[in-house]
Amino acid sequence: MALSFMEGNEAIARGAIAAGCNFFAGYPITPATTVFANMLKMLPPKGGVCIQGEDEIASMGYCIGASMAGKKALTATSGPGISLYSEQISFAIGSEIPMVIVDVQRLGPSTGSATRGADSDIQFLQWGSTSGVPVIVLAPSDALDCYVLTVHAFNFSEKYRCPVFIASNKEIGMTKESVDLDTAVLPPIVNRTFYSGDGFLPFEAEPAAAPPFLPIGGNTLVRQTSSTHGPDGFITIDPEVIAANQQRLRDKILMAEESLTLYEETVREDADTLVISYGVTSRAVEDSCQQLAESGTPVSTLSLKTLWPVPQKLILEKTKAYKKIVVIEMNLGQYIEEIRKVVPSSNLVFYGQMNGLLISPDKIMEVITHG
Amino acid sequence: MSKKNYDVTGYIRQRFFPQMWCPGCGHGTVLGSLLRAVKELDLDKNEIVMTSGIGCSSRISGYVDFHSLHTIHGRALAFATGVKLSKPSLTAIVPMGDGDALAIGGNHFIHAARRNIDITAIVMNNRIYGMTGGQFSPLSGPGKRATTAPYSTIDRNFDVVDLSVSAGATFVARSTVYHPQESIDLIKRAIRHKGFSVVEILSQCPTHFGRKNKVGGAVEMLEYYKQRTVKIGSKKLEKDPTLIQRGIFVDNSEVPEYCDAYDLVIEKAMKGKR
Repeated sequence: MALSFMEGNEAIARGAIAAGCNFFAGYPITPATTVFANMLKMLPPKGGVCIQGEDEIASMGYCIGASMAGKKALTATSGPGISLYSEQISFAIGSEIPMVIVDVQRLGPSTGSATRGADSDIQFLQWGSTSGVPVIVLAPSDALDCYVLTVHAFNFSEKYRCPVFIASNKEIGMTKESVDLDTAVLPPIVNRTFYSGDGFLPFEAEPAAAPPFLPIGGNTLVRQTSSTHGPDGFITIDPEVIAANQQRLRDKILMAEESLTLYEETVREDADTLVISYGVTSRAVEDSCQQLAESGTPVSTLSLKTLWPVPQKLILEKTKAYKKIVVIEMNLGQYIEEIRKVVPSSNLVFYGQMNGLLISPDKIMEVITHG
Repeated sequence: MSKKNYDVTGYIRQRFFPQMWCPGCGHGTVLGSLLRAVKELDLDKNEIVMTSGIGCSSRISGYVDFHSLHTIHGRALAFATGVKLSKPSLTAIVPMGDGDALAIGGNHFIHAARRNIDITAIVMNNRIYGMTGGQFSPLSGPGKRATTAPYSTIDRNFDVVDLSVSAGATFVARSTVYHPQESIDLIKRAIRHKGFSVVEILSQCPTHFGRKNKVGGAVEMLEYYKQRTVKIGSKKLEKDPTLIQRGIFVDNSEVPEYCDAYDLVIEKAMKGKR
């Protein structure tokens, strides 16, 4: 579509369409509403459903129902909406219902500031559901990322049969920038594996994999339940069956860590410092390291696009050549603790800011130089 | 009705019987009426999706051999809406208890009614929360005893029929478990109705409501439904207007059904390209 002037939220909507999304439901909330608005422009003309619920709870329910009927579903909200989604996120995780949830983050807690950005929900997205099952969270840093990562998000959700989050940010979602989506390298589209054969058991799966799928309303009767269930989809209290299912839900995500890991890096020769960041902050980090390189101080960067499951192997591998690891976050330190689990604390320098403003390249240079 | 019509074993998951409801519970009768209605309508099992929430009533979805979604408390109508919008040809039935329908799920209930989406909601009103141990519900009414109302309730109750009518449901009916033949007929008409249908069936919970309020066991509670309910417009109402009316309160096929209306939206958006 050549060079266009586009905000991240529109790029997410375009990514969803590219991924084959055919169902959207949502409830208005700043700064996510324009994802909905763009889906309204694109989905019904293709015969898709794009609907406004009576609240976030209902909208999420529509998406889950649609996904169980075989649709590729998307919803978009911000922190307060994620709070309301929480109960159904647990349902989607436990009942292995694919869908993509966009969180255009704003400054919390609670209502916070609807028009101020922050990476508020980085831990919330992982832990905002019951039982501590791992989830997949992708963090775009610009409009092009929004487009590409949305396609990845749909692919992951289909393959692993789970909700996948996009942790965007008001500053990406609602800022228009020049972008040429034709330059994007999109992964091949993944669709969920349909069951074939006789004797369908809704949750029978390989040990670390998602079960093959059949839609509600097809020729084979499908059972779905939010209750603890075994491969047959019936309620169970059998400890062995429960344990096996809990383990599988965990393993199917954690054991896929490497195939889920997306990142960008700039490796500069002779650098002894690496800056790790994610989201919109990565852009300021890139600017500041560019300036430092021009003034003779090479500093490398690692921008994480996959935040959950934590790409531990990548972080370990990418940090080992550096004496100093600087972590910059647009909150007061949500992801640094995950990095600390992999990187020795003595090598870590952290700067976090949560005041409604973007972190400036000047500030980042100061942290790199004097931190 | 021939004896054969009572054989509904093809519609149930027999391995889960006998069911888990308490002795004397009315919900089994509702299940029986529902299955017979489905049988008399000659519906294919694959055409039905039963979506339920949480509670005694919701366990119905585990007993029926249809497409079944046993979901989370109060949200069944939201899931059913998503399924229905995706596959409008399916017959969507949602059995609901007091809480699912009108406490935690009240918002979804009124909005589903307002939209007139083609879902049949069967509200099994036993005026109490059974599964969690006898707490009062928005259908209990004032002056009742419940686990959470040891000094008796002060909350007024919703009238399910009045609320459904006000919210815009295009088919609204009421019966009781004392009147299973009537229930079968009303459920059949509700399923056939294209739009949001509500069938309130007064059920009994002798275990909690009966005991706490000293209104006797299942027999006495059924007797109450026999004595205290009348067909709509019955002459008995002149003498005693407090009697509860049974029958069809609204049957309106003039209002566009939501999935049909949405099809027109898509048609407009596609500018005739479909």
